[in-house]
Amino acid sequence: MTRYVLRRLGQSGLTLVLVSIVVFLGVRAMPGDTARALAGEETNPEALEAIRRQYGLDQNIAVQYARYVENAVTGDLGTSARTGLPVVDGIFDALPVTLELALLSLLLAVVVGIGAGVVAAVRRGRPAEWLANTVALLGLSVPNFWLGIVLILGFAIAVPVFAASGFVPFGTDPLENLRRMVLPVIVLGSGLAAIVMRQTRAAMLESLSADYVRTARAKGLAPHQVVGGHALRNSLVTVVTVLGLQLGHLISGAVVTEQIFVLPGFGKLMIDAVFTRDYAMVQGVVLFTATGYILVNLAVDLLYSVIDPRIRLGGAQ
Amino acid sequence: MTLTAALALTVTGCASLTTSATEVGGVRMGDDRPVRDGGTLTVAFKSDPDKLDPSLGSTLVGRSVFAAMCQKLYDTDAKNRIKPQLAAGMPKVSDGGRKVVIEVRRGARFSDGTRMDAEAVETSLKRHRDLPESARSSELEPVESIEAVGDDKVELRLKEPYEPLLGALADRSGMVMSPRALKKYGKDFATHPSCVGPFRFKQRVTGDRIVLEKDPNYYAASRVHLNRVVYRTIIDGNVRLANLRSGDSQISDQTAPLEVQSALTDDKLQLFNSPTLGYQGLTVNIGNTRGLGKKPGKKNSSLARDKRIRQAFELSLDRSLINKIVFQGMYDTACGPVAPSSELGTKTKCPGRDLGKARRLLRETGAKGRVPVELTISNTVEDMRLGQVVQAMAKDAGFQVKLRPTEFTTLLEHADKGDFEAVSVGWSGRLDPAGNIDAFAATLGSENRSGLSDKRIDSLIEDGRRTADPDERRDIYRDVTRAINDQHALIYLYRQRNYVVATKDVGGLRVYGDGLIRVENAGYVRGSSGSALGLPPVEQGGEVRGDSTEARSR
Repeated sequence: MTRYVLRRLGQSGLTLVLVSIVVFLGVRAMPGDTARALAGEETNPEALEAIRRQYGLDQNIAVQYARYVENAVTGDLGTSARTGLPVVDGIFDALPVTLELALLSLLLAVVVGIGAGVVAAVRRGRPAEWLANTVALLGLSVPNFWLGIVLILGFAIAVPVFAASGFVPFGTDPLENLRRMVLPVIVLGSGLAAIVMRQTRAAMLESLSADYVRTARAKGLAPHQVVGGHALRNSLVTVVTVLGLQLGHLISGAVVTEQIFVLPGFGKLMIDAVFTRDYAMVQGVVLFTATGYILVNLAVDLLYSVIDPRIRLGGAQ
Repeated sequence: MTLTAALALTVTGCASLTTSATEVGGVRMGDDRPVRDGGTLTVAFKSDPDKLDPSLGSTLVGRSVFAAMCQKLYDTDAKNRIKPQLAAGMPKVSDGGRKVVIEVRRGARFSDGTRMDAEAVETSLKRHRDLPESARSSELEPVESIEAVGDDKVELRLKEPYEPLLGALADRSGMVMSPRALKKYGKDFATHPSCVGPFRFKQRVTGDRIVLEKDPNYYAASRVHLNRVVYRTIIDGNVRLANLRSGDSQISDQTAPLEVQSALTDDKLQLFNSPTLGYQGLTVNIGNTRGLGKKPGKKNSSLARDKRIRQAFELSLDRSLINKIVFQGMYDTACGPVAPSSELGTKTKCPGRDLGKARRLLRETGAKGRVPVELTISNTVEDMRLGQVVQAMAKDAGFQVKLRPTEFTTLLEHADKGDFEAVSVGWSGRLDPAGNIDAFAATLGSENRSGLSDKRIDSLIEDGRRTADPDERRDIYRDVTRAINDQHALIYLYRQRNYVVATKDVGGLRVYGDGLIRVENAGYVRGSSGSALGLPPVEQGGEVRGDSTEARSR
């Protein structure tokens, strides 16, 4: 297990180096000159030159990358060319927002998705299954931006129960925090809940027809013990895998959701940075997100053996 | 609005498409209803302000933030007239326009508590002019020396008479910064800006908000009603409008025509608008072969080869119809670089659409078949629509317009390098006509994307910079406008209007021709609930970002 974790960490480090190179080259391949974007409406050749010098854009790309890595390993991801604020500050400002949005959405997806999936499997062929399937189909089909605007119009304007936008930290005002997070969480979590529901239902149907479930029933266990303790536990491996795979969906969905609800998270930070050619910020956010992605995937892999002890990590049978 | 109506609005995109544009009414730049003290006003911007440093800033939204916290030596009023702000009076000009003496207002203090005096003005102007990456350097380039003469007088010596100086000092070049803050923070001044103004910088959360609070040091603090102003960036117009309707923000900046019409359906909202000093139009590349600032050459394209083809192209366009179709008739047609609302502006009659003459001109040039034109446009909804309308209109005269949609920064880069045949691009406008003409039409102008090179235009531009008499200058700019129009390389099409939507409980707001939202005297009208108190400050890790985070600054 330890060897497996160490090997995975080594692979993760290599992946991060590759990501940093790809991102570094990628942002520079974007059309549009950073200095031009920063100079704004007016074109002053001397100012453009000074901006290039200030941000090292006049150096060759290898030197720029070497300098970037040298600073990054000390935790300095540079300064936002747009605002003059440290990139790290921007990331740590945005992190709690995206983290809360993602975790609450995940929670919604897990609770609603697994719950609905189990009900749909247990009540196969009945109205409950039909209802769960229909809602799941809706959740998958409705685009985030449309659902977001409809929810704002419905529950922030017509019936002003929730706020249309903005973020207030939970520590500052818990109620206000929830008032502002409910709609974004519904928007981001609904698609994921639908996927989880379908996967849970499929896995549960398979489990419920398995021999060990029949044995459990034959032993006289209560229905909730059979469903919860046997069928569901075995089905969860599939669900956890799906959740891990859907992390990308969560991140890309957060980009759209944060724009609609003006949440100052990673997605909004990223979009603003891309539009303003803020190289340092784009690199910082992508690198940070990639690190998070890699670590979560690692955690998901490790979680397999916890959920199902039959799974052994590190190449063992 | 009921939920059904709200849903209908979403489905149709905009329920008020049938609203007549005339409902927008005439110009409305202010609201004089009495307001009460206290409260927070949240302003929703279309884009994120850049560095809060007057020497480095380059965005319009950034200028709106400065309008609340960084006063200038001079300011403009509703009629685009220049008036003293941090200067005690209008400047005294002598020595044939080469010596300018500015008396500085007494008793003003910066937000850090230090006194504003002539030395502070000297320090600030020198920084604007000399900082290598300063976006103001070209505006102050003709200023040879800047010297404080005593406590309250600053003397500027110019290389040559330079009339646009006053206009520049009424913008960011005239903003005065605290020398103590400049010394303490240097290039990080943007993260700790300190100026003279009704509000002072409190905090900035990247990509989210800029918070200003009432400055007790301000010389007219008794006339400031609000406790705080919060600027937030909401790129999407529909979301910005939704935030106004829900009360999460009270003012929406740079509202597009369709959004304005949608806002008019809500009786809780009010509309402000002012004509702008800028223009939008098409720039034809006739000689930009080496990039900006380089001597123009010869471009080999249909439009560049023959002036008559450019004239025919312009004659194929109907400015009024473009305004009606693309902008719901809510902008103003334009055919010159100087706005009629400008003090030195003159009304220029726009040439109407004349397809007969356009076809005749094309025949005279011997053009066979449809004349190909590649038009670069930005990939925004409005510009795409503009491009399609131009394409359809020009087709009637015998042109085959191919559209090249490009992301805006890339478009500017291509335009600067001369990599285009015709491009749709505009200018936000400056108070002095020289700011709208010199850089764009002078042979070596820093924004001369068309590669225009005309001795008469160059000579008139020089005259305009040196002439002091306003009537004479007005005539010069009328002549230079005619000379530019005669080249058909800069085809002015329309002038945007600043449309600002606010909730009805907000009073004292000002929206002038420079496009800035002025909140100095704004507040919640007496008797209104003014329930919107904005978001509480973001506290993370037990500290508030902003002035109090010196340890984090770099």
